[in-house]
Order: sequence, then C-alpha cells, then structure tokens
Amino acid sequence: MKFADSPLLSQTVPAWRARFMLGALMLGFAALITRAVYLQGVNNEYYQEKGASRYARTLPLAATRGRISDRYGDMLAVSTPVRSIWAIPDDTKLQPAQVRELARLLDLEVRDLDRKLATDGDFVFIKRQISPELAGRVMALNLPGIHDQPEFRRYYPSGEVAAHLIGFTGAEDHGQEGMELAFDARLTGEAGSRRVIKDRRGAIIEDVEGARQPREGQDIRLSVDAKLQYQAYAALQDAISANHAKAGTVAVLDAKSGEILALVNAPTYNPNNREKLSGAQLRNRAFTDSFEPGSTLKPFTIALALEQGKVRFDTPIQTAPGHLTIGNATISDAHPHGVLSVAEVIQKSSNVGAAKIAGQLTPHDMWNNFDALGFGAPLKLGFPGEVGGRLRPWKFWKPIEQATMSYGHGISVSLMQLAHAYLVFARDGDLVPPTLVRQDGEPVAGTRVYSPQTAREVRAMLEMAVGPGGTAPKAQVPGYRVAGKTGTAHKLEGGVYAHKYVSSFVGFAPVSDPRLLVAVMIDEPSGGMHYGGDVAAPVFSRIMGAALRSLGVPPDAPEPPVLKMAAGTAPAKPAKPAAPPARAALAPKAMPVAALRVPRRPAREPM
Amino acid sequence: MSVYRYARAPAQPADIDSLLAWPVLVLLLIGLVMVYSASIATAGGSRFTGHQETYFLVRHAVFLSIGLIAGAVAFQLPLRAWQQFAPWVFLAGGLLLILVIVPHIGREVNGARRWLPLGPVNLQPSEFMKLFAVLYAADYTVRKLEDLGSFKRGFLPMAMVMLLVGFLLLREPDFGAFVVIVAIAFGILFLGGINLRLFLLLALVLVIGFVALVWLSPYRRARMFSFMDPFENDPFGKGYQLSHALIAFGRGEWAGVGLGASVEKLFYLPEPHTDFLLAVIAEELGFAGVAVVVLLFLLVVQRLFAIGRQAITLGRVYSGMVAQGVGIWLGVQAFINMGVNMGLLPTKGLTLPLMSFGGSGIVANCIALGIVLRVDWENRQLMKGLPA
Repeated sequence: MKFADSPLLSQTVPAWRARFMLGALMLGFAALITRAVYLQGVNNEYYQEKGASRYARTLPLAATRGRISDRYGDMLAVSTPVRSIWAIPDDTKLQPAQVRELARLLDLEVRDLDRKLATDGDFVFIKRQISPELAGRVMALNLPGIHDQPEFRRYYPSGEVAAHLIGFTGAEDHGQEGMELAFDARLTGEAGSRRVIKDRRGAIIEDVEGARQPREGQDIRLSVDAKLQYQAYAALQDAISANHAKAGTVAVLDAKSGEILALVNAPTYNPNNREKLSGAQLRNRAFTDSFEPGSTLKPFTIALALEQGKVRFDTPIQTAPGHLTIGNATISDAHPHGVLSVAEVIQKSSNVGAAKIAGQLTPHDMWNNFDALGFGAPLKLGFPGEVGGRLRPWKFWKPIEQATMSYGHGISVSLMQLAHAYLVFARDGDLVPPTLVRQDGEPVAGTRVYSPQTAREVRAMLEMAVGPGGTAPKAQVPGYRVAGKTGTAHKLEGGVYAHKYVSSFVGFAPVSDPRLLVAVMIDEPSGGMHYGGDVAAPVFSRIMGAALRSLGVPPDAPEPPVLKMAAGTAPAKPAKPAAPPARAALAPKAMPVAALRVPRRPAREPM
Repeated sequence: MSVYRYARAPAQPADIDSLLAWPVLVLLLIGLVMVYSASIATAGGSRFTGHQETYFLVRHAVFLSIGLIAGAVAFQLPLRAWQQFAPWVFLAGGLLLILVIVPHIGREVNGARRWLPLGPVNLQPSEFMKLFAVLYAADYTVRKLEDLGSFKRGFLPMAMVMLLVGFLLLREPDFGAFVVIVAIAFGILFLGGINLRLFLLLALVLVIGFVALVWLSPYRRARMFSFMDPFENDPFGKGYQLSHALIAFGRGEWAGVGLGASVEKLFYLPEPHTDFLLAVIAEELGFAGVAVVVLLFLLVVQRLFAIGRQAITLGRVYSGMVAQGVGIWLGVQAFINMGVNMGLLPTKGLTLPLMSFGGSGIVANCIALGIVLRVDWENRQLMKGLPA
C-alpha cells in the first residue's frame, strides 16, 4: 500500500472545506435562480420591449389606388406593380465589391449608396419604383439587410392627351395634380398594416397580431369621353402650331348634364415621364388662368336686357359713328355699323351696341347676372389653383367699367367658367353645375338664370353670329346648326393693353336640341391672324363636328355636299344660311325669319 | 501492474450511482434536444454546414456516443491507474496546449487558436486539460498532503505550473478555460487543506489588486461593468450578444415560448448552440426549463461532492479529490456559463458542461463522470468488503 492510500491521511483532510465549497457553489446557483426569476418573471416586459424594437416591424399593407377611367371604362390612370429596394443600415455590412455591384444594378453612384447605407435608423430607401424584374436581380445578390417591397406605380395610358385632366401622383402615391388630387381621398383607400417578427436576415417569422387589412381605393369613372378628349387634343395641337400660339385650352361639355366630356390644355406634358417638367406645361389653364374674355360676354348683357324687357330681339340700336365716349374714355367698334338690331349687335359683335344696351341696366343687376352665371368665384371642381376671375363689387363700378364689362373687358374669367355659363343658352335658361364625374341619372334640372324665351332668343342670335354675315362662319359644322360667339381680347400686361391677343370661341350644337358645348381659347396667336373667328372658330368647328359625328347626333341641317366645301373654305362668301329652314321648329317664340338680314360679308371683330 | 489486471472487475449496472447517473443523463439529453433546436436556423442558413439543419444535431449525437463509450471505458480503469498516469497525462495535455498555439498546426477560428485538426473532427486540448488538471491536482494534493501548510513546498510549485498553463491558455486565447483550470487546481488544494491563512492572504491580495486595477481606471471600470446593462453600453457592439441573451430570457417568461419557437436563435443570438444555449432554453422552455437545468447541475455537483466525501472517509483521498475536483469543475463552469447568459458575469467564452455543442467538451465531461462513477463503484466495493 502506498503512502497516499493510507487511511490515516484522510483524517488530515478537513471535511468543512468541502462543505464550504459546496455551499459556495449552491449559493452561486441560488443567485442564478434568483436572477432568472428577475429576468423572466419580474423585468421580462422590459426585455421583451427591447427585443421587439429589434425584430418586430410594422409592415404597411398597401391599398391599391383606385383606377380612373373615362365614361365608357377606358383606363386613364392605372396602378402597375413595381418594387422598391430598401435597407436596414444596421444590418448591411457590405463589402466594397458588393456595394459596387448593387450601385451598378440600380444605376446609382457608389458614393450616394454608401451615404444611404451609413444612415442611422432601421429603414432607408435605396431606390424606389423599379421593375419587378430588376428587383429580382437585386434580391438575387442575397445581400444582408437589403430588402424589397411591393409598391405601385401610376401609369397613364392616355399620356399627354389627358395630362392636365388626370394629373399625377407623387412618390407616396398621393395625387399632386388634376383628378388624382381632386379625388385623392376616394382613390387612395386606406393602407393596412401587419406587425411581424422578422429574423435577423429579414425573413418574416410570424405575425404578432392580427393584420389590419387595407381598404382598397375606389375606382372613379369620369364624365370624360376619351375619344372626344383625343379629338380635342389633336385639334388644339394643330391650332397651336398653325397659329404659333403660346398656349390654348379646349373644353367640351355635355349640354344636357353639365358633364365635362373633354378638357385639354397646351402646352402639355407626359405624366408618365415628368423629369423635365416646367410650370407652363403643368398649368391646367382652363381652371387656373383667367383672362378678359372680350365679346363672348356680350350675350349675357343682351340676355339680361331681354329678360328685363329693356330691349327686344329686333329693337334698333344706333351704333353710328362706331364709337362712344363715356367720361374721358372712348369705346369703338372695329367697323362702324350704323343702326343694328339687338340680334345684329351679337351677330356683328358691336361694342358700342353692347355698351349702349348695358347703359339701360343697373350695375347691381349686371353684377347679379354675372354672379348667377358663376363668374367671380371658383367652380370648385377640386382642381388645384382654380381661379374665380375678377368681378369687382358693383358699388365701385364706374360708368365706363359697366360699359366695358358688357363686352367682356374689365372682368376676367377662366375658360371653364365661360363654357359653363354658356350652358344657359344651350339649355333653356337654366344652369347646371359642371362635373367631371359621370352622371348616370336623369338630366339634371339646373338653376334658372333666364327665362326659356330669353335663352332661345339669344340662341338664335348666336346662330346668326356663326351664320353668313356673322363673325364666325368658320365655326360652322356641315350638317348641323351651330350657335356660338367669338371673342378677341387684347391682353393686359402691367395694366396696359398690349398687342397680344386671346382668341376664343364658345358655341354649341345642334341648335335644334343642343347636345354639346365646346369652348376654345387660344393664347397669343401670332401666325398673322388673331380674331376669334379666324383662330378659335375653326378649332371649334373641327372638334364639334367630330364629336357630333362620333356621338351619332342626328344632323339637323342637311346640306348638299357641295356646299360643305364652300362653308369650310370660303366663309367670306355668303354661304347658304344654315339656320332658317329649321328655325321655326326650334322655338315658336323665336325671331321670325324675315327679321334676319343677311349681310354681304362677315363683320370684323371688335376688340 | 499490467493493464489487464485493472480491467478484471467488470462493473455491474446495479453498482452505478443512479443519483449521479440520472441527472447527468437527463442533462445530456436536454442538451442534445436544445442543441438541435438552437442550431436549426443557423445550420440551415449557413453555407459552411451545407444548409443542413441537422448538421449540429448529428455531430452532437456522434460526440455524445463517443463520450458515453469513453466514459464507459474510463469507468473500467481503477483510480489507482488514473493516479499513476496523472502527471504524465497532465504533461501530455500541456504538450497539446503548446502544439495548439503553433501556427499551421493549431486551427484558428474567430481569432482564437484552440483546435487541433484531427481528421474529420477538431480536438480542443483545453477541454481535456480541465480533466487532466483535476487528475493532476488531486495527485499533487495527495502527494503533498503534509506540505500543504507550506507556501514554498505546497503552494509555489502548483502556482508555477498554473502560470505555465495559464500562459499557454492565454496565448490561444482561452480565458474561460484558464479561469476554470485555476479554479480546479486551487479548489482542490483548498479542499486538500492548504494553509488557510496563506490561501486567504493570497486571495485577498489578488482581490485588492484586481479591484484597484479596475477602480483606478474609469475606462476599465466601464468595460468591466458594461455587462450589467448591455442595452446602455454599446448594445450593438460589445453588449450585443448579452443583450440578445437577456431578451431571450425576458421572452421566455415562466413557461417559455415553446420548444422550437425561439426568435433569438434566428440569427440574432450569436453561438446559440454553444455558449448561449441556456438563453435558448430560457426562451423556449422559460423559467421552468432554466430552473430544471440549474437544479440538475446542483444535484450533480452535490452528488460529486458526496461521492468524494465518502471516498475520503473510506481513506481514498485521491479518489475523493478527483470526485470533488470534477464537482468544482462542472459547478464553476456551469455557474460561469449561466451567469454570463444572465448578465451576472462579464462575457467569457465558456460552454455549458454536458449540454453545449462541442465534441471535446462533451467527451471530457463524460470521461470525468465515468471516473467519478468508478470512484463510487470502488467505494461500494470497499463497503461490501471487496477489493476495489
């Protein structure tokens, strides 16, 4: 037996030391249990919160934006799926080669990418709205902390044709212009969300709580007719280039319902590619630009005088010697006319005649008249920057102002206001609110402004203006009876009338039962012509003709084909009057045919 | 003393101490299950494992089998033989430690050179060195039992050996193993009866020196105590691991989120199947799981000490020292690992004995327990009046 095995030795090993050591270890283990109780039973919520902040994420569930279509369901704005690449900067520990590869794929500067990846926080967009195919290639790189998410990109199939009307959305998928802005709340819907736990590589492990489902955006069916929209666009573009004009606007309205069937502006832009967008392109001039309308306002003055019984259809007005002095200002006609009937004041567009008729009206009544027509206040269709125009309070009107306002100066309107106001003549004196949303109900009963008889009489005057001896034979549409009024106004620049013009034409057809109303405004035509009858009327004619035919509106003035050409090419020659054969059928109380004098040549348009 | 003479007494299963064997087996099995649960995601998501989810499970099971066989073999050897070979085994362990820090021989993983490539597996000498330290320190204590009162003859030689081993271990570096081995060596010396005043004095000097060192430098102080609030101190740097371990504990609450349902193991918690296995247990099995593990370790340690005490009473001091030495080893290492997991101690790389993934550690643990079961078996033989 070795020494070490001797039983005697065991007596020298102090037994308490083992007990002490075991006791110390037991104490240690007791401390562990205590600590575990604290961690898991007492302070657990604190640690859970810390944990949640690291791997619980609230993911948005995008609501699909509603689509915008024309009145027949043709898509004008749709959302297509795209993907956005984003990163959790804390998780992206990329090699320089990986950064370069990522930058190359996404067409980014390496420096910019580095800066994005160096930001604090747990979310940064690397690149938004890329094709799903490219996103797939990025994700195939399998980089830590790089993620992609589905998004939608707005696409506008009609491109620049309906750019101003539809508008566009910004990066956050909210409307910034046009209908996209006006109906943003309805189109947007409501994004849902889900709270998930993600593993460190970004994969979703589980949903923490029930997801809030998104409420999809509503589709909107506009009143617009995509076909008419395109026809209006094409006609306006041609007119702009033919007249070397700065800008222009066309609005087409349904006379029965007040629905806006087409609305185009020039210059325009492509809403699908807005990289080089200027303010001028962006302007929805039909709503945002007010201008002095000029003679297009005369019919309203005449209508008020007719309504009040101050004049009748054939009341003679002395317009000689072609100018009229009020105070120290002089109003003049482009061509002196002598004695004109009230109807002829419209037909020949006599400023002096209009001013003299206005002289029989009170400023208060005139103001009320303009106000009832919607001038001086925005139409509130939801377009950004909609203007109300300038309509000064009647108490401060000077006599000269009242006189000039009768023929559309000293007052300003937007084209849409003007087009809207003309509905009173296209209808029987009542006014319906304009709308951009398709109306499916019965024809709307509007607010009465004039009696039906007054409306019909003015309608007849407006038909004369388009007919032979009127200011706008170029507005005629073969096969249809057309009514309308030209306007040619000097532009105000710094308070002074400059040698720049705004040419306009507002008209409707067919006169026997007006269906469509077209308003045209050409800004600063500089191709040698500037009268509304020369610049705006042909645009009206083209659009109105195409629209009536495409809507299948039955012609109310059948014409032999040979005269169509004459009407289109030689307005100076007295063409066959378009109106008289059907005149009697139109309105029993309208002017007798005999009262109409057929002039030898179209009157020149006064300013 | 030929080898076959040692093997002549085959152990009967009935003579195995069930109070030790069962808790150990349960810990080994919980360990196997939790290693699998903890490693599924990391193994499945890693190129290095070939995206096999069972990569660590299979290896752990193989190591466990090897460990059980090695434990059974160790059980066959009488303690006398272990004592005889102890200095040589310890020396061999030291040589392996030298070998492991030689470049091109030792294998480096994550900046630490701790492994010797051995065909398909890697050997981690420091794990075995813990076992060898038990065997050697017990032998040293028994041999120097009468000199333990002396600083020069009792304390100094072991201190010199520890300095040498410590130097080698810190070259790897493997600070955790160093702490455990020093605890084993001086723990056994303490149990053997080293001069208490000397021991306390030395301990006092060490503590004062350490405290002064830490206290005098605010930087070191901050680092030393940063583990106490890992969310405030650099939560995504030094405190990252610990903060996620604490979150795992908090998420587990009393009953756990359920086996397999841990979130922290999904790439958040580094080393979920090795150093931070307890955190995964805490998250999936809750406080109940943690308490069971702690109590099982307590049972094991308590039983190891009891077996050692019995051996000493029977006059078998070496056997007793070995048994209690293994108790210190498993107790200290388990305490440190769990303390680190719970943020009670600064983070050091130490696995949870019997449970964490790691072939060398499991095999060394199994051999050590085989030896202790042998001690117990020999105790019983003696009490039956049979030769041990």
